[in-house]
Amino acid sequence: MSTVVATNINTDALVGSTSATSITVRGEGSATTVLNQGLCKAWTNSDNDASRNDSFNIDGQTDHGTGTYSYELINHMSGANNYAQAGMARSTGDGRIITRDTANDSASAIAIECTGDDHAKADMSHDLFIVGDLA
Amino acid sequence: MSTIVADTLQGKTSATSITLPTTTNIGATPLVSASANSMTIRGEGSNTTNVQQGLCKSWCEANAAGTAITDSFNISSVGDTNTGRQVHNQTNTMSNEKYSAFVSGGSVGSNNVFAATYATNCSVFSYSGSAYGDMQMCSGLFGDLA
Repeated sequence: MSTVVATNINTDALVGSTSATSITVRGEGSATTVLNQGLCKAWTNSDNDASRNDSFNIDGQTDHGTGTYSYELINHMSGANNYAQAGMARSTGDGRIITRDTANDSASAIAIECTGDDHAKADMSHDLFIVGDLA
Repeated sequence: MSTIVADTLQGKTSATSITLPTTTNIGATPLVSASANSMTIRGEGSNTTNVQQGLCKSWCEANAAGTAITDSFNISSVGDTNTGRQVHNQTNTMSNEKYSAFVSGGSVGSNNVFAATYATNCSVFSYSGSAYGDMQMCSGLFGDLA
């Protein structure tokens, strides 16, 4: 194994040496973690009609109806069940709940449903992100 | 700019040691390093951020029964602790329970999904307001590894 000790490394790309898809990073203590696995693979800050204020790795969106949205990924995930996602509603109201919309999610799209404290779907501005395995 | 074309570089004083300038460019743009537990990376603008602190330390998607991992990273096992309650156990654990967890559930009505954090695992709950219910659950942890 080679070791490079440096203060600054300027580069455009990082590729694992032993395995091209895995780069180990020393964590905050003695344990190590994996750079590739720890990166957020897509995120969006969206309004209540699915329009994106800012995003990463997303090139399209669909408003499926009240409180139901999906976002098309540029670089797809390896499968519909190969990533974890979370999100939140941006609202001053109470009881805003976001669940994963398994009717509209896939390897190429992430999807959510927003509901109020009455358990009825409702349009809300929202944030959403995923971590997991890229294709 | 001069170009050295060679298959191997060898130190003169010590064959196995070569000192490079303080700033050595490989390619064109920036990454950086300083201590064993902290690497700095240039962000999208002029600010920098910390690689270690920005990484998700584990993530998991488990089936509704809480008996199987669909896919995961740094998760050793999942457990079904009761209806609508799962535990996602880490392989390399966090330094303590004071980390930031995100959890979510699959679409089954509109249950609230929330978490309780421990140094070695994250418990995930799915509650409708009147009862717990099994559903596909995800978790992810940001914070300090042990």
